Amino acid sequence: MDAEIEQNTTDAKRWEIEYRLLVDAIYQMYHYDFRGYAVASLKRRLRTAMLRFDCRSLSQLQDRLLSEPQFFASLLNFLTVPVSEMFRDPAYFRALREQVVPVLRTYPSLKMWVAGCSTGEEVYSLAILLREEGLLERSLIYATDINPDSLRKAEAGIYEIDRIAAFTDSHQRSGGRSSLSDYYVAAYGRAVFDKSLRRRIVFSDHSLATDSVFAEVQLISCRNVLIYFNRELQDRALQLFREALCRKGFLGIGSKESLRFSTQANNFGDFVREERIYQKRDAA
Amino acid sequence: MAQSSARSGPPLPASVLAGFAAAIVAVVLMAAVSYQGQQRGIAAADAVTQGVERIVQVQNVLSSTKDAETGQRGFLLTGDEAYLEPYVSGSAAIASELAKIRGLTASNLEQRQRLDQLQVVIAAKLAEQRSTIALKRAGKSAEALAEVRTDRGKVLMDRIRALVDEMQNVDRAQLAQRQLEWQQTAALSTRITWIGAGVLLVLIAAAAALVSRDYRARQLQTWLRLGQMGLGERIQGDQTLEVLGNNVVSFLAQYLGAQVGAIYIADGADRFRRFAGYALPPNSPNESIRGGDTLLGQAVRDNRAVRLVDIPPDYVLPIASAIGRGAPREILIAPASIDGTAQGAVEFGFFGRTDGSQQQLLELLSTMVAVAVRSSKDRTRLEELLEETQRQAEELQSQQEELRVNNEELDEQSRALKESQAQMESQQVELEQTNAQLEEQTQMLEHQKETLSKQQELLVERAADLERANLYKSQFLANMSHELRTPLNSTLILAKILGDNKDGNLTEQQVKFAHTISTAGNDLLALINDVLDLSKIEAGKIDLKPEAVRIAKAIDDQSKLFQPQAEKRGIKFSAAVLPGTADTIVTDPQRLGQILKNLCSNAVKFTERGEVTLKVSSDANAIYFNVSDTGVGIPESQHRNIFEAFQQADGSIHRKFGGTGLGLSISRDLAHRLGGQITLQSIPGQGSVFTLRLPHVLPVESEDPTAAAAQPEVKRNAVIESAAPKPRRPAPAQIEDDRAHLQPHARCILVIEDDAAFAGILRDLAREMNYQCVVTHSASDGLLAATELRPSAILLDVNLPDYSGLGVLGQLKRNPITRHIPVHITSVADHSQGALELGAVGYALKPVSREQLVDALRRLETKLSQGVRRVLVVEDDERQRDSIRELLTMADLHITAVESGGKALVALRSMTFDCMVMDLTLPDFSGFELLERMAEQEDVSVPPVIVYTGRALSADDEQKLRRFSKSIILKDARSPERLLDEVTLFLHQVESALPADRQRMLKMARDQDVAFEGRRILVVEDDVRNIFALTSLLEPKGAQVQIARNGHEALGALAKSTARDADRIDLVLMDVMMPEMDGFTAMREIRKRAEWKRLPIIALTAKAMQDDLEACMAAGANDYIAKPLDVEKLLSLIRVWMPK
Repeated sequence: MDAEIEQNTTDAKRWEIEYRLLVDAIYQMYHYDFRGYAVASLKRRLRTAMLRFDCRSLSQLQDRLLSEPQFFASLLNFLTVPVSEMFRDPAYFRALREQVVPVLRTYPSLKMWVAGCSTGEEVYSLAILLREEGLLERSLIYATDINPDSLRKAEAGIYEIDRIAAFTDSHQRSGGRSSLSDYYVAAYGRAVFDKSLRRRIVFSDHSLATDSVFAEVQLISCRNVLIYFNRELQDRALQLFREALCRKGFLGIGSKESLRFSTQANNFGDFVREERIYQKRDAA
Repeated sequence: MAQSSARSGPPLPASVLAGFAAAIVAVVLMAAVSYQGQQRGIAAADAVTQGVERIVQVQNVLSSTKDAETGQRGFLLTGDEAYLEPYVSGSAAIASELAKIRGLTASNLEQRQRLDQLQVVIAAKLAEQRSTIALKRAGKSAEALAEVRTDRGKVLMDRIRALVDEMQNVDRAQLAQRQLEWQQTAALSTRITWIGAGVLLVLIAAAAALVSRDYRARQLQTWLRLGQMGLGERIQGDQTLEVLGNNVVSFLAQYLGAQVGAIYIADGADRFRRFAGYALPPNSPNESIRGGDTLLGQAVRDNRAVRLVDIPPDYVLPIASAIGRGAPREILIAPASIDGTAQGAVEFGFFGRTDGSQQQLLELLSTMVAVAVRSSKDRTRLEELLEETQRQAEELQSQQEELRVNNEELDEQSRALKESQAQMESQQVELEQTNAQLEEQTQMLEHQKETLSKQQELLVERAADLERANLYKSQFLANMSHELRTPLNSTLILAKILGDNKDGNLTEQQVKFAHTISTAGNDLLALINDVLDLSKIEAGKIDLKPEAVRIAKAIDDQSKLFQPQAEKRGIKFSAAVLPGTADTIVTDPQRLGQILKNLCSNAVKFTERGEVTLKVSSDANAIYFNVSDTGVGIPESQHRNIFEAFQQADGSIHRKFGGTGLGLSISRDLAHRLGGQITLQSIPGQGSVFTLRLPHVLPVESEDPTAAAAQPEVKRNAVIESAAPKPRRPAPAQIEDDRAHLQPHARCILVIEDDAAFAGILRDLAREMNYQCVVTHSASDGLLAATELRPSAILLDVNLPDYSGLGVLGQLKRNPITRHIPVHITSVADHSQGALELGAVGYALKPVSREQLVDALRRLETKLSQGVRRVLVVEDDERQRDSIRELLTMADLHITAVESGGKALVALRSMTFDCMVMDLTLPDFSGFELLERMAEQEDVSVPPVIVYTGRALSADDEQKLRRFSKSIILKDARSPERLLDEVTLFLHQVESALPADRQRMLKMARDQDVAFEGRRILVVEDDVRNIFALTSLLEPKGAQVQIARNGHEALGALAKSTARDADRIDLVLMDVMMPEMDGFTAMREIRKRAEWKRLPIIALTAKAMQDDLEACMAAGANDYIAKPLDVEKLLSLIRVWMPK
């Protein structure tokens, strides 16, 4: 397919135009703003989608997209990358537990925001961590994503049972104080996570590209989300985070992400450098 | 010194060393020569002395010899022994004198020989004398004489004389010789001294010259070194090229004393780009230069500095400043190169002359600048590469993630594929069936469609028929009623005549019947009239005859009409024209009378006890006729119905009170035709108020129904507008104060007080206490004065002609310029809590005693003199208290630590604190109680409170604390640092640190607003920050804000509010994203309940897209506003939706 498309420059140019039109069409029709997404990655995902939906060109994709709202919902699953694990990068959660949680303890009530929560693995990880540290009952976690499908899955909190083994291992390595099995019930090849965890979680649709701040929070975890954004959108998201964080609040990002080149870099200071946990700085 | 001696090598340069050596030699030589001369002089003097002595002694020997001869001769002549006396003494002296001479001539051989001779001769002489004397004594005088005559004596004597002369001459000659020698020696010595001094002078001069040269050289070196160091300092650290260029060029220009400068950077391929300048005139040319082009290019190519002097003025760009411009006289250009490659170049222009040192410095710094430029370039490049790497890492990560998704997807697909295959087969069958079904349905649909269009046509026809029928009806009614009235008229007259029974021939029964016919006929007539009127109006067939009507008369007419009726019914009827009402109205008097009559008659009819009043008032837009009664009232659900034809609030009423029920319909329609409207307010059981609003002048185009319909809007706005600003009282005349002669640094008190007398008292008191005093009489003047004069303190009245003093206080405290100024409040009414919360230092209720005023000023004074900041620590545990005190100890911070709430209150009363740290568990009462008491007590000014507690807090507790406390910290391992951090923050917080939207919000929340006054607004929101913002926005406007943190709480709060009318919630602000029950669900739940169907709800959402907003409306919101909240928009939304 790649070879076909990039056979000559005309094709490349057509592709480029179609790409821009499609992204614009999505924005105008469904108000999902992918205009600030990293182009290379989004194009790859669109190619996969074309294959999957058996479209020969982006225009064809666009045509279906505009005429079938249902189609957009399934396309959205290709445009976003709903992949996540519990206690992914155990060292990150260990750093949260050992270095951030002691500071969080000094707040009478806590709010946290998992931005781009995908199918919720990370939200439940955070909730379990907080329960283990005795903070969950005074915490509220906002879990937001743009993909309603992912959000539904996240809200259900049901995962394939064959993933649980890896989750358990990561949980232990993150310094888990209890057994992960305390928090789920396995049946029919699935594991359902404890509903009481969910009581402290608000799942909601929120776009870092178009929406604004909704609450003041002490901790934001937004991992492997910024990688899909271009620099401007990254800056916008970080600006939102800065506004949402309380004074000296914490921000955790993915292991391959960095604030260094952002215009917002000066608003955050390293807190746990190697795990990419930052602390909001007072405005100069 | 130790250092230099430790270093090897000569202590001084060779030339200086040689000079010093020469000086030493010269001094030693001079000393030797003058010593020698001295010695020689002494020897010569000794010799002279000896010579002189010898001469004297020789003379003495001669004279002694003469004495001896004299004595001898005398004796010889006389023989008298007495004459022998000189001889004895003379001969005796000679020996000793000769010995003396011998001593003196020890060194002179020649003289010694002469002396020996002399001695011999003298000895001979003495011998001769002795012999003669002996002869004489022996009496042999002649022999003696003979002896004498032999002349031996004389010869001897002459010989002696000759010898003495000879000796003396020799001595004299020697003496002269010696003297000469001595003089020569002295002269030589003097000469040598002069020469030596000369040599020394030359050497000193040489040394001075050397030292001076050395000093100059060192000066230059120091200047160069300082230049290097200075530049080094400026280019330290990671600087971007632009910053670096600016630093380099501005430093160098200042250091060199240049008036203009520019720096160029090698931009690859032999091109140089200017990247910074110093005092460059705008639009300077030569942004970019090629190597070899222009002098700068040449200097770079040659890698050599260029110095240009005596430049023609038209060659260069002028150096310009705000007040003038001039051409530089000299230009220095130097390349900045390293390892032979130029990295850049600098160029400077000078008004004055340079002396070469500038060029030297530039050459010296060339490498340094080049290194800095190169490393900055490298760093920039590195940064870019790093960023690129970061981007690639992200890209890689995203690819990885996608891959994972694709994998998962593939797995799922293969699974799904198998399933779907099985499904496909069964679906195939189903499809065929469905197809067949569809075919059928299509046919059916086709059929239905046809039927539908037929029905539609029918409907259109019917509508036309109806319209026609309506018109016929109106016409028929108009005609009919006329036809009816004619016979009815005669019936009535006849019935009346019959009833009067003038002839007296009817029985009582018959008279009664006649009356009944008359009454029934009258009723029928009224009904027919009404029907006629209504149909006329509906058919658009009435003509209006506008004329000027005296309102008083119109009212009077009604009064006359209804007074008796009312009295008959046992109720009171009063009519009044309110003062300030217009005298006349231009309208149709008949119709006005008709409407008023209708309204009044209804009111009288439906009122069983109490009273009916007719009141007239007017404003700029309209005239209002209010008819109020204390009758049965009309339930809200019936408000619309009663205006409809043939409808009354209650069907039974008709029968009870009579009347056609058409009156209100007619009145309403007439009012519309007259360009006005009728509104109703009523509470069942308490009475009703009908208001007829008519324009001052009947509009010509009153037929246009839309004009009437548009009126209500106008009215609503007019009410708001006319009520919004507080009625302005005229400000009193300005009283004399110190504003004309304010001294710059004197203490000044601003008095904002509209009561001139009281302001005067305050002014005198302030002056008495050595303040200058400025008096203003209104809030706006006061605010202006406060920002312009920056007084030391402010005395503020609450009741001001334009705004409330509390608003002034709020504004003062929100303006960074004035927020530090202590404010003391005086007022007739008690606003103390609000005032103190807003940050007033103190509060005094009028009337105020003099003592209280003095006290207030004192309070301001202590606040003024507080240079140090004060923190109050309230903690029951002593160790904790000490550790907090320890933790917070810092410069200029005074910490007061107390262990109980009571003591805290005492402390707060006695002074003002900048911040308070408190525990919740206290021995006397709880922290909550302390906070409440603080807020209640008017003599306590409340500082920002940080709650520092070991106690876990429930959500309710936290909510409660948030009202008073800015920050809550739970005691834990990491809490001390947070406490320190927060305290520091509060001590140094300035308002500008607040986010801009919050500042704006605070600014907006200024004066009270009628639309909000006393209204209850339910804020359903879980974010503390927003709750705070909304509360502080709405409460100052006079609204009461109730908080619910999620949908459940909101429903609970609403349920509670419906129970009591006073708690009724007027409007809901609903956040969408909330725990437990979100805003959508909550709104849907609210709309399910009938009594809340009309409750205005404004949704607050962080989502900005159109369909998100539509979702809000679909869930039941009346309107929405996107976060972050635009304050003005929110306020206007609330105004629009707030029920009137």
